[in-house]
Amino acid sequence: MGAAIAAPFTTLLRPDLACASGHGARRVIFFYFPDGVAGRSQDGDASLWEARGSGGRLVLSEQLEPLAGFEDRCVFVNGLQMGGTDEGSHPGGAKKLLTNVDGGNGQSLDQFLASTVGRSAPFPHLYLGAQATVNGASGDKFVSYPTAGTPTPPEDDPRRAFSRLFDGTIVAPTPESPGGDPATELELRRQRSVLDVHLAELTELSSRLGRAEKRKLDVHLESLRTIERGLSRMDMPPVDPPVSSASCEDPRLAYDVSDETRFEAAVFGRILDAQMDVMVQAMACGLTRVGVIQGGHHTSELIMSHIPGSEMYDPGYAMRSHQASHYGARHDRSNRNFVDYLAQRRWWVAKYRALLERLAAIPEGDGTMLDHTLVLLCTEVSDGNTHSHRDMPFVLAGNAGGTIATGRVMETSGRRHGDLLAAIATAMGEPLAGFGWDSREALPGLITG
Amino acid sequence: MGCATLLVALVGCREGGAPAGPGDGPPPRGPVDGAEYYAAECASCHGSAGQGRRGPALAPWSGSRDALVAAIDETMPYANPRDCVGQCAEAVADHVLTLTGELDCSSPPLPPRRLRLLTRREHAATVRDLFAPIASGEAPANPCADGTTFRYVPSRALRSVHVAGSFNGWDPSAWPMREEGGVWTLTRVIPEGVHQYKLVLDGAEWIADPNVPETAPDGFGGANSLLTVRCTSGGTTGVTIADPPTGLPPETRPEEYPFDLQADDGIVTLVHATEYLAAARRIADALGDSVERLVPGADRDGFVRTFGRRLFRRPLTDAEVARYAALADVETDANAQRRLIVRAMLASPSFLYRSEVGVLDGGTHRLDGYEMASALSYALLGTTPSDALLDAASRGELDSDEGVRRAAEAMLDDPRTRATLGVFARQWLGLDAIGELARGTSLATRQKLREATERFVSGVMLEGDFDALFTGSSIPADADVATHYGVAAPSTPWSAVELPAERHAGVLGHASVQLRYAHSDQTSPIARGVFVRRRLLCQEFAPPPPEAGGVPDVDPNATTRERFRQHTESATCASCHQYIDDLGFAFEGFDHEGHVRTEERGLPIDTSGVLRDVNGFGTDTDDPIDDVRDLGAALAIAPAAQDCLSTQWWRWAHGAPESEAEECLVREVATEFRRSDRDLRKLLVDVLASPSFRRRGATMEVMP
Repeated sequence: MGAAIAAPFTTLLRPDLACASGHGARRVIFFYFPDGVAGRSQDGDASLWEARGSGGRLVLSEQLEPLAGFEDRCVFVNGLQMGGTDEGSHPGGAKKLLTNVDGGNGQSLDQFLASTVGRSAPFPHLYLGAQATVNGASGDKFVSYPTAGTPTPPEDDPRRAFSRLFDGTIVAPTPESPGGDPATELELRRQRSVLDVHLAELTELSSRLGRAEKRKLDVHLESLRTIERGLSRMDMPPVDPPVSSASCEDPRLAYDVSDETRFEAAVFGRILDAQMDVMVQAMACGLTRVGVIQGGHHTSELIMSHIPGSEMYDPGYAMRSHQASHYGARHDRSNRNFVDYLAQRRWWVAKYRALLERLAAIPEGDGTMLDHTLVLLCTEVSDGNTHSHRDMPFVLAGNAGGTIATGRVMETSGRRHGDLLAAIATAMGEPLAGFGWDSREALPGLITG
Repeated sequence: MGCATLLVALVGCREGGAPAGPGDGPPPRGPVDGAEYYAAECASCHGSAGQGRRGPALAPWSGSRDALVAAIDETMPYANPRDCVGQCAEAVADHVLTLTGELDCSSPPLPPRRLRLLTRREHAATVRDLFAPIASGEAPANPCADGTTFRYVPSRALRSVHVAGSFNGWDPSAWPMREEGGVWTLTRVIPEGVHQYKLVLDGAEWIADPNVPETAPDGFGGANSLLTVRCTSGGTTGVTIADPPTGLPPETRPEEYPFDLQADDGIVTLVHATEYLAAARRIADALGDSVERLVPGADRDGFVRTFGRRLFRRPLTDAEVARYAALADVETDANAQRRLIVRAMLASPSFLYRSEVGVLDGGTHRLDGYEMASALSYALLGTTPSDALLDAASRGELDSDEGVRRAAEAMLDDPRTRATLGVFARQWLGLDAIGELARGTSLATRQKLREATERFVSGVMLEGDFDALFTGSSIPADADVATHYGVAAPSTPWSAVELPAERHAGVLGHASVQLRYAHSDQTSPIARGVFVRRRLLCQEFAPPPPEAGGVPDVDPNATTRERFRQHTESATCASCHQYIDDLGFAFEGFDHEGHVRTEERGLPIDTSGVLRDVNGFGTDTDDPIDDVRDLGAALAIAPAAQDCLSTQWWRWAHGAPESEAEECLVREVATEFRRSDRDLRKLLVDVLASPSFRRRGATMEVMP
């Protein structure tokens, strides 16, 4: 237990981080769900997603209703668009969602942040999924792009994610002897020597190749350098001191889904819950600053009517996420697809709220982790039936140490969503004047402090 | 060209494009030049000559200019129909009218130089094989994995010798032996158990195997040879090698590429790197002192050279030898040094990537013999090249077309090729996901049904005729498979059984395919129809337009077919669904579990329809079909189906979908496949042995 975690250092705060704890966000989580929302319908029924209100009175829509009680911690960003290219498509939307480049031909924001502000953490990037890689999912189902044009899949198994983070697969010094033990010293020397060989080999290989292959090897090189940094950090205080020492010393995973049943809709919620637990503990322990949680994947065959305890639960009836999203041209409440679709979307929002609750339950500084963590709710299209890429449904939670005023609606009328992505980077301490295509400035008015 | 405006490629047609960093924007567009716009926005789907790629052919355009302008104005580009209207639509239309539809193949291109990250499947097989010698000690070969070899030396000249027995349905032509220097041999994986067989000389004379003393009466007054196969479990003297990394992320691939081999998406993220290093450590630790048996009697440098060649699939340079030898200085004990060397090599980029980079030769690159050894071995055997093949490479035997061809042909009789072709079949037909479906049929049975299909396809590719893929009447089966199909179990597991008559349609009659392309509670004519178009005919479809709506609600008073009637009643829907639905309806005689049915909710099933434009949209053919058997018979003779299989094999071998320029290479292979009267064994070899596989990109691609 406690890979690379040195309990004695929990009280040491780096001065720059001590500063950062009051200004800006220390972490970010992108929470993705598939197949859009009931937005503006094909025949022009007004969106049933957007929150409304200003001047202190905020009215949640029926799909956002599960956020009641948390609306003060959120900014409801209305009106962003992802550009005309590939509009009308799920994969086109998924490729643009975090890259803001057509066809996913750009690095995604989560990966950009992992390689910048997240780089100092033992795990610069943590990408967890719930049934995201099932059904022979092709690459366009994933939202994270380590390098232009090449997506990467999330880890769908909470057990594996948990053990990778907390079992110290690579280096496992015991908390009692974080260094000084001869056996550990020898193992560290082995690891450093092995890495030295691989880094030299990669560099040589890279010099013999064309641009496309070099790009791939650059990702490999950065992965090895991350491991190398982890090794050289062994004797040093953690860069991000744990917020909750329990998360490091006694991390818990309550998860009992068997390998045989892990594809079933009935266990979907339990997988997602477990992944949220893993993510929050990893962040509380200072293991990572940048996370993505992907629930399912677009055009999902997930039979949401088989999720026990949900509003749409009906074991005798198979209603899939994607099937419900094609509810028709109108918002017709006599149509079962539509009614189920609304219930499904509320279910996703409730899961997002559950993530916020986990963060809000852990004290940090003079507030909670939620005060220092940005959590973006996002999906790859706006209205699930029209597949529109306009009026995208984004909700951002967390006030970034007081620099983002929450509890409000932002009307952005037609700005590119890259402006929001740039603003998130800026709030994370990596100021950007735009991210991806057609994005010229960080969303003005988001960061207030 | 009626469907031209709607039948376009899947989204994501636009290829390449410069990586954009923060703040980059698309280039601003001035007045539209039709040719430029077409090249940028249309060619990736419709082809630069309008010949059609993932989207339909446009040239030569048979309709009016006005119709073309209107189609572009209103619906194109597919991904962004508002982008080209008015003057733009006219300019692009005028450019389309100049296109010939003929792809210029006068100077065929070269595939790119590539590094190919081992897939999880390849990685696991490689690790298993590398340590097999010590993992199993001196244990004998396992006939259930490596096959049983028949050997016969006749006293007279023979034209053919076949093995026929209980394991292959006593088929006198299914299992040919091969002759070399007067010795006839055949190696086959035969299931555990007791079997009876005979040798068939020149297709007529049945004799007992003279090498085998054990016989049983054959019921005709003669004797059958008895064969007892016992699987050995790897012996007990060796070490147990820890599992290869099971936590590696799944491979990513573009939607139109069905295989796990997608080279361009093979990147090593932190998760990959962590898993590789952890697995290398586990494996090295598990070796203990048996590590010295990997290369018996070798000193440190000798160990590095010999084991290194096995791992890197090429000789190590002196600098590499020195580097690994120096690494070992971290340890003092000789075996600990060897273990550290193994550990480092197992996570080395030289091990993890197989190289198709080549050596500079006359302005382009030529894959060297070692690279060819890897390419052949992984494409056909699914694993790392043997020492013998690397030796052949060192002797220059893989530097010529003939040498490569000989090596590939020899591999076709290796049982591992059969297994690899099973994987090819699984991925080609999209059966990977069969374990993840919600179905009444148990997981174990679904996997067995898939295995039966894999064995069927690999058997056809190695011994059968192309037609059988879509017309075959039998399938290899065990008891579970036979039960699902309602036929008697074969006496020997996985020998062929005759299927009920309504299933005599090759893979179309297989329950694995039928239940894979269905919903959990009902059939999906759309999924089945699209399966035929995309996987078997290589014809891509756009996703349904936004207004399409989902699956029509279940109606107790209507069949599935009736519920989808709107597809053909609405002109908009019909423009695409005329190509899809009838193909799916042909499968309606099989429910979502892959069982035969004659009625649905008490209503009669109608499986008839029309197979429209089987060889490509706009080719204006209508084949009436009554059921999957008719559909299969039509596919068996359709050039598009033949071309598609050769294309899929090309994609498998190259680890990538073909670029537009590479279509010329794919066509060469397809043309040769047709010319050879659809010789499948030849196709398997041709793609790998062709000069265009070994020649790679020009020097210009190399970074200084």
